[in-house]
Amino acid sequence: MSIIQQHTQATLSDAWRTINIDALDPDSSVNFDVSSLSTPQPEISEADARQIAAQVRQLIRGGDPEGALRGALENPVYNGPELAKDTHLQTVIEVLQSIKASEMTPMLQRIYGTPGGPECLDVLMKYLYKGMASTSGSSHGGASSSARGTPTPRNMTPQATGFSQIGAGRPGAGGESTGGAMSVLLSWHEKVVDVAGLGCIGRVMTDFRRV
Amino acid sequence: MSAPEVHHLFHNPIADHSFSADRKTLAIARDTTVELYGKVGNAFKLKDELKGHDKTVTSIDIAPNSGRIVSCSQDRNAIVWEPTDQGYKPTLVLLRINRAATFVRWSPNETKFAVGSGDRLIAICYFEEENDWWVSKHLKKPIRSTITTVAWHPNSVLLAAGSTDAHARVFSSFIKGVDARPDPSAWGERLPFNTICGEYLNNSAGWVHSVAFSPSGDALAFAAHDSSITVVYPSAPEQPPRAVVTINTQLLPFMSLIWNGEAEIIAAGYDCEAFKFKGNEGGWQLSGTVEQKSRPGMGGDQREESALNMFKQMDLKGKVKDDTQLKTVHQNTITMIRPYQTNGDAVTKFSSSGVDGRIVVWTV
Amino acid sequence: MSQSLRPYLQAVRSSLTAALCLSNFASQTAERHNVPEVEARTSPEVLLTPLTVARNENERVLIEPSINSIRISIKIKQADEIEHILVHKFTRFLTQRAESFFILRRKPIKGYDISFLITNFHTEEMLKHKLVDFIIQFMEEVDKEISEMKLFLNARARFVAESFLTPFD
Repeated sequence: MSIIQQHTQATLSDAWRTINIDALDPDSSVNFDVSSLSTPQPEISEADARQIAAQVRQLIRGGDPEGALRGALENPVYNGPELAKDTHLQTVIEVLQSIKASEMTPMLQRIYGTPGGPECLDVLMKYLYKGMASTSGSSHGGASSSARGTPTPRNMTPQATGFSQIGAGRPGAGGESTGGAMSVLLSWHEKVVDVAGLGCIGRVMTDFRRV
Repeated sequence: MSAPEVHHLFHNPIADHSFSADRKTLAIARDTTVELYGKVGNAFKLKDELKGHDKTVTSIDIAPNSGRIVSCSQDRNAIVWEPTDQGYKPTLVLLRINRAATFVRWSPNETKFAVGSGDRLIAICYFEEENDWWVSKHLKKPIRSTITTVAWHPNSVLLAAGSTDAHARVFSSFIKGVDARPDPSAWGERLPFNTICGEYLNNSAGWVHSVAFSPSGDALAFAAHDSSITVVYPSAPEQPPRAVVTINTQLLPFMSLIWNGEAEIIAAGYDCEAFKFKGNEGGWQLSGTVEQKSRPGMGGDQREESALNMFKQMDLKGKVKDDTQLKTVHQNTITMIRPYQTNGDAVTKFSSSGVDGRIVVWTV
Repeated sequence: MSQSLRPYLQAVRSSLTAALCLSNFASQTAERHNVPEVEARTSPEVLLTPLTVARNENERVLIEPSINSIRISIKIKQADEIEHILVHKFTRFLTQRAESFFILRRKPIKGYDISFLITNFHTEEMLKHKLVDFIIQFMEEVDKEISEMKLFLNARARFVAESFLTPFD
């Protein structure tokens, strides 16, 4: 009897049930070394990323958006601190926003036709998805939205009435300006799929060289 | 070009298919059974069911000369089905793996077969006379993930394998007493068991779905999940390859590929149709599709529907146009393509099987 | 509004079509098991980079692909508290009947309102382009549904308030 009791005492805390024993086995598939899926990439620091950004801006001001786009896409930041990655994302988005809608498709077709062009479009696709994924979409949509801040539904306090009018006291501006930045990315996305096909999206998914 | 020969067998996925040498018997991996179809006139009729696996059968292969069938399944087993007068006699193979068996192929000389598995190894199986049993030796290093596909070199010693760790590899499966010493080739000179003759990483780390040696065995092609096909030309043993050509396509990934001579590859997969690639060491290109879309009875006839019929459709089904059918013959992913009729090194006809339960024989 | 809706849905459609390339894949961790890898997460190499398609901060779709399954999570537009409540009730209604919808996940991913789980067995049984159509149509309809429900709710609230306040007239 006492033994059983002891046993139940020991098992009362069932934290041990949640230990993932596979993770402790170095041979287990859980511990697959993901770095073996890509060749080592050169490390790019934040300063380097800023330098690329400066060069790219120079090209935009010089009236060569295609050169700017290529320049930004040929130097993706695969290996580097988060800050460098974000800086480069900003650079790419800046270039994308500076290009007129009517110029998108011809420019993409020209890039696709050149050697190394298809890879550039794969990189562009990666940045498009990253741009859409970055929750602080407002950071490149203008400072006005971030100042007011959009409340997430979780933070909402349920009001007793619950019948607040549409848009009343709501910072709608935040959503709209990020929407503006997103719609640029979305229209680019559509154009890239037209030129580089679905295979391009497939390569974004499979590639472990993540931007 | 003649129209493809379409056999719609059932509404289940076909994981793999294999024709006998005389093309009269067709073996199909359907769910947990192996089904044998016999050719009656122009159609295939169910002849026999081989039951022995208790999980999904993943792959099947008929040895052209001996008529032996080997099948493997996610239940970790492979079975050799020996043809006898009383039907097929199953023999379990001693695989010694404890994960799913994913892919099986007879070597060209039919003395061995290779079983790829989720246990991150390849079992090379051969018959041991004294024990009257199929036993296996494991190719283990440096595989790090599930083997998805294997392909034999014409010399029956070299084996190419693709895996979900995004590598295509070439191994030696030389087994003393079974194999004769192979002639030295660009892949290697001395080839003890488990020599790695080549290891190629896919650019964007897509899982390798299919590998194939060219008819001469001097080039290797593999298709990966990043919609690419890579062709490797080795130079000499222990040397980096002479050329590695990658074609990144705009299409969805390919599941299976075959060589047609040394300068053409046919590949098919998630786009539900087969594509042709042409090239050489200097470069490869997508040259077109095998299927011709504007077949009679597909485009024109459908458009000229009567107004009555259109409104009837809208009323009954609530839809304006019928878009359930794809324009391709296969209505779902093509899982496997195999040569059906060859003329020397050139493939004149090939067969494809799909998730839609169809077997189609195409004329190239 | 619909001007930016079209490219959004188009981007979701192409991303889904590219992600829905599934094959039968048995577990590498558990013997004789075949589980959706995107849920099990036991083999890092068979999980692909997740894709996010966003229209703005409040409307986004997360696609998590793997070798034999993909998970699609949708964040439905919620402009105010009422819409938040309505979306919650509506998705709850659907997820409680998840088995009738085959591809619906019983619990949404954190940060999203509703999730779908499509495995290779679904793509084998159903037509892939129709599955994509279904998701797109769902996304189109759900916004409409929510705003209709909101209008209806407001109308009813007005009516109730009126009749409630009549005695004090």
